[in-house]
Amino acid sequence: MRVFRVGSTGAAGSLANVHQRLESLLSWGPLRSAIVVGLIYFFLVGVSSLEAGVKIMGEDTQKALFSAVSNPIAGLSIGILGTVLVQSSSASTSVIVGLVASGALGVDAAVPMVMGANIGTTVTNTLVSLGHMRQSSEFRRAFAAATVHDFFNLMAVALLFPLEVAFGLISRTAEAISGQLVGTAGNEWKSPVKAWVKEPVSWLRDIWSAFGTEGTAQGILMVLTGLVIVLVALAFITKNMRALVADRVERSINSFLSKGGGMIALLLGLVITVAVQSSSITTSILIPLAGAGVLSLRNAYPVTLGANVGTTITALLAALAASSPESLTVALAHTTFNIAGIVILYGLPFTRYLPVHGAEWLAGIAVQRRSMAVVYVFGAFVVVPLIGVVLFR
Amino acid sequence: MVLAFFRRGSTEGNSLDHVVAKALTMLGDARHSFDLATMALLTDTDAETVAANIRETDGRINEAEQELRSELIVHVSVQGSADIGSVLGMTLLLKKIERIGDQAKNILDLAENGVSLADVDNVSELLEEQQTVSSLFSEAADLLGDPDADDESVDEYTRRALGIADAHQAHITGFMTSERPGREVVPLAIYYRYLRRIVANLVGIVRTSSEPLPHIDYLDDGATDTDD
Repeated sequence: MRVFRVGSTGAAGSLANVHQRLESLLSWGPLRSAIVVGLIYFFLVGVSSLEAGVKIMGEDTQKALFSAVSNPIAGLSIGILGTVLVQSSSASTSVIVGLVASGALGVDAAVPMVMGANIGTTVTNTLVSLGHMRQSSEFRRAFAAATVHDFFNLMAVALLFPLEVAFGLISRTAEAISGQLVGTAGNEWKSPVKAWVKEPVSWLRDIWSAFGTEGTAQGILMVLTGLVIVLVALAFITKNMRALVADRVERSINSFLSKGGGMIALLLGLVITVAVQSSSITTSILIPLAGAGVLSLRNAYPVTLGANVGTTITALLAALAASSPESLTVALAHTTFNIAGIVILYGLPFTRYLPVHGAEWLAGIAVQRRSMAVVYVFGAFVVVPLIGVVLFR
Repeated sequence: MVLAFFRRGSTEGNSLDHVVAKALTMLGDARHSFDLATMALLTDTDAETVAANIRETDGRINEAEQELRSELIVHVSVQGSADIGSVLGMTLLLKKIERIGDQAKNILDLAENGVSLADVDNVSELLEEQQTVSSLFSEAADLLGDPDADDESVDEYTRRALGIADAHQAHITGFMTSERPGREVVPLAIYYRYLRRIVANLVGIVRTSSEPLPHIDYLDDGATDTDD
């Protein structure tokens, strides 16, 4: 292919040259793959550090910190807010897994938070869709494609949250699976990954000890260090995995566009999300495609459902670095919740397109009054969860 | 399609190579339509016998254009804006090929409306001009598909093709003040107008891959419109 020129070239900065050279070096697949493996290791160190930090804090501090989430609605709301804040359900659920591993957070309190994380993660592609606001028809398509994910997750929570609160439907199912895999709750699970990350975590503790910290102060610093490591590692894992698999993603989306949606689209969403470790990336790719009219709402919809399931892989990965079966239970609860939502809402023909109708309705309103789109985003992802926390903590 | 994710790409290069490869196929189809349509107008070939073939080929070109446009949007959505210049250039390139397909169909329309230039005095000259334009298609394809094609080759092609287009324009201008009956010169003028636009589009196709994006379809650093 000949080079298609963008325009006359100006004087490129040396920083841009360095970045270009670095990108060119990283374009060598094996090197980028090795970097991703290293980043996953850092991510697991971060989760383990989080767990260790909470353990160091002591029972009184733990109680003071986590008593707020004992109410399921408060937990759900914190899950939404936390995920909106970090713009990644992978990150927030991994943190939840770490907290459960420490024993500070119980499975019952963690599952509503995980459900909230599922809702919170949809804010990213909804924000992306706001970028299409200038052109009505484009905005209608983009906003509907973004909010179909919101509607599905809200409906799944509306159905499964009461069942979880009343009967522990999701947590008990996840507990049963977890019990089969690593043993029952309350036992120490000898995760091989935990042993691999033990040393770096003790180095972190030594570093903070060297600064003269101990007890709760040291615990807080360990938690903060863990949080930073988890967020930074995940951000770079996503960035590098996206670069690694971009051509494959492009090829498979092209193939999917010419052949249709349904279960295949769902599987595609799952595979892409597992590969890039972020449902936000997968769903955000869909928005410009929907806005341009390349992808219909009904075809985009199952891809987002696959992304919902695919994103749970990160919490499962995080559970490998944790020492309690409960952490795996919570990670599995995330997967179970999403699969159950798909089975109930997408599996039944009469409920299948409810989220699509909801998204079309909301997009119609948003196109009539653009400010309503902003009100919706702010209201659904910030105001309502804040009210939930204030009223129910 | 899920399996497409796990397959290795057919080429290790930029995924836009696939778009260029398909654009070359479209250009081949456009040439096929052009040859058939001009034969229907300039020889005794029955327009009805080639019409279905030309319309089917045009349909294929249109379908490919739409498919490739989607692929270009997917490319930008997945890979980010790094290739945005190439993507915009390719969108123009595809449109130009699609236009040539339409212009070939317009030439067929002339033949289908009962116009025949097979018996005009200078038919051999018309056939020679047809051959010249037809060969410009293959030269354009060579330049577009060659990753090492240099700017000099593109400039030389442009100069030659624009010379041909100027000659077509001179014919059209001459017909405007011609004493010959309108039923003779009007179809010829329309035919030359289509030829001129096809040649201008071929120049655009070749230059799309080498010109800075703001200057595509303009010559002399943006000062002259190529009038395609």
